[in-house]
Amino acid sequence: MTRPLRSTSTRLAMTVMGAFLLAFVLLGTGVYVAVSTLLLQDARELVRTDAAALVELERDSGRAALVQELRDRLEAPDDPDAVHALIAADGHFDVGDAASMNLQSVRAGHGVRWTTFELAGDAVPDDGAQSRRVLAQLQPLPGGDTLLTGLRLQSQDRFLALMLRTALVALAVAATLGALAGWLTSRWVSHRLSHLDRTAARVGGGELGLRVPLDGSGDAFDRLGRRFNAMLDRIEELLGGVRHATDHIAHDLRTPLTRLRNRLEDLQRRSGATPTERAALDGAVQETDQLLTTFGALLRLARIEAQPPAGEGPELDLSALVADAAEMYTPIGAERSVRLALTLSPAIVRGDRDQLFQMLVNLLDNALKHAPQGSLVGVSLQAGEVAVLCVDDEGPGIPEADRERVFDRFQRLEAHRGTPGSGLGLSLVRAIVHRHGGRIGLLDRGPGLRVQVTLPLAGDAGRIARAEPLE
Amino acid sequence: MRVLLIEDDPHTAAFIAKGMREDGHTVEHAGDGKQGLFLATTETFDAIVLDRMLPALDGLVLLQTLRGAGNRTPLLLLTALGEVDHRVEGLRAGADDYLVKPFAYSELSARLDSIVRRQREEAQREPTRLSVGDLELDLLGRDARRAGKRIELQPREFRLLEYLMRQAGRVVTRTMLLEAVWDYHFDPQTNVIDVHISRLRQKIDHGFERPLLHTVRGAGYRLGE
Repeated sequence: MTRPLRSTSTRLAMTVMGAFLLAFVLLGTGVYVAVSTLLLQDARELVRTDAAALVELERDSGRAALVQELRDRLEAPDDPDAVHALIAADGHFDVGDAASMNLQSVRAGHGVRWTTFELAGDAVPDDGAQSRRVLAQLQPLPGGDTLLTGLRLQSQDRFLALMLRTALVALAVAATLGALAGWLTSRWVSHRLSHLDRTAARVGGGELGLRVPLDGSGDAFDRLGRRFNAMLDRIEELLGGVRHATDHIAHDLRTPLTRLRNRLEDLQRRSGATPTERAALDGAVQETDQLLTTFGALLRLARIEAQPPAGEGPELDLSALVADAAEMYTPIGAERSVRLALTLSPAIVRGDRDQLFQMLVNLLDNALKHAPQGSLVGVSLQAGEVAVLCVDDEGPGIPEADRERVFDRFQRLEAHRGTPGSGLGLSLVRAIVHRHGGRIGLLDRGPGLRVQVTLPLAGDAGRIARAEPLE
Repeated sequence: MRVLLIEDDPHTAAFIAKGMREDGHTVEHAGDGKQGLFLATTETFDAIVLDRMLPALDGLVLLQTLRGAGNRTPLLLLTALGEVDHRVEGLRAGADDYLVKPFAYSELSARLDSIVRRQREEAQREPTRLSVGDLELDLLGRDARRAGKRIELQPREFRLLEYLMRQAGRVVTRTMLLEAVWDYHFDPQTNVIDVHISRLRQKIDHGFERPLLHTVRGAGYRLGE
């Protein structure tokens, strides 16, 4: 999992976790609001009852009795949370500590008013209560006074705070568990998928014999794997059919062609032919040979393309092969005064020695064919992270538009129609390069053409470079 | 020499048998694997030409059975499958050489001569000097002389000449040269062998009245007087 955010399973896990947390938060908020409303209603009920008793006292026994009652309560409170005050019509507090109550407007209108305020200063003993919030009822009395009956909400607030803390802890635990569950799920899913992914990548690379390992559990992944394997079986069967057909074509068509050639050879051997007839026979044999060569190249190409990658082949030094090929082709160049210049450093690659040699021979043959008389063909091999082989000529080059096309079977540039060749040379080169996990490119040297082949090196560096990146 | 031909395709068999008889050999023909194995184990031959794909008994199985029984008759395997792994498989099973169908008769003839000769030479001591006419090759001193005059040869040219001299008097095909001298199995795009031969010819025949290195039209080359 190199890119966790781009992984489908991780995204899925995170979405599920997000939805889960959102539901938790909404539910928690709802409960919190409901509970706090309920608690406030209870408090109001208490305050209202208290106030009603006091108002009754005032009506029955007069203002003095009320003042006395309030003072008694302030001095020896039955309920430490109760708050009382009697405010005269001019705003003066007859009973109660005006300073501690930062009431904005005592000026009562008519009727009962509810208000909440914070107790200030140290009018109340600081007993560690978290809340100084007071819910109070302002009740205008017939004499113009205002009776304040209130209740400190500290126990309610303490309960709510406790509830909030508990909810937050629960949320944190749930989030952690959710993340953990999501991570595990995503790991499990990507682990199950990685088999499929790896197998698909390697099969795509040509290892058609590979199958996804099944665990027999019959779950969705297992079923997918089984279907995938069935599909691969089918593909292999079809490819096998094609290969079979190719082999049969090789057997069935090349054999009569050779028979034809042998008959011609037989005629050649018979004496008595005039020089003209002899020349015609030679020509016919040559034509047949050309046909057989082309046919052979085509079959060879088809077989190389169907072969699994050569990454597991023996290790060999590409520079030795290049040197051999160059040595072999130096006399060909010398016929037209074309010199070969080699710059080689050792490069150990894995693969098929004969095929790599074929690749080099075709590249050299091409370069020498198109190099102008007396020019230089450069061959360089360097090994860094990969082996880089360059074959440079000073010929006419290949127009940009044609560079991809020349790799196709039987594609030859108009300018080269006259020269000998089957039109399969570069197709063969590309098939061999691809089979060895490499790349081929045609670059402009202005003037001339550079054919650049990169091949993975053998050993750890090469193996890492070849490995497909996995989710 | 007496040759056993095990080949199911009548056309191919007829064409090989005809060529061999023209070359002066005696040919016994077996049309399937069972008959072939019977003939190979009950009679003595100088060489066997064996098709890989046979009815009744597979060519490769026949070959393994034969070699398992200690029969060392030089054997040339014929096949329609030209891939490296098949060639290696055939040689590992005990074939002396391998020829991909379709082939020219001259190729078969040259290769058959080569394997028969090779087995005869194996019994003898490895020579240190080779000579054809007035051309001499000192294998230890890596020295080539013609009529006593030293010839400068590149290492590859030396190997080429050595191979031709070991096969002196016989036709050697271009493919045989590629495999023996360059040790690569591939399809040369151009007449690369011809160019090497003509350079060698320059060195050994130039200035001498009688050429030693001959071109055999449609087949290959022959070194000899």
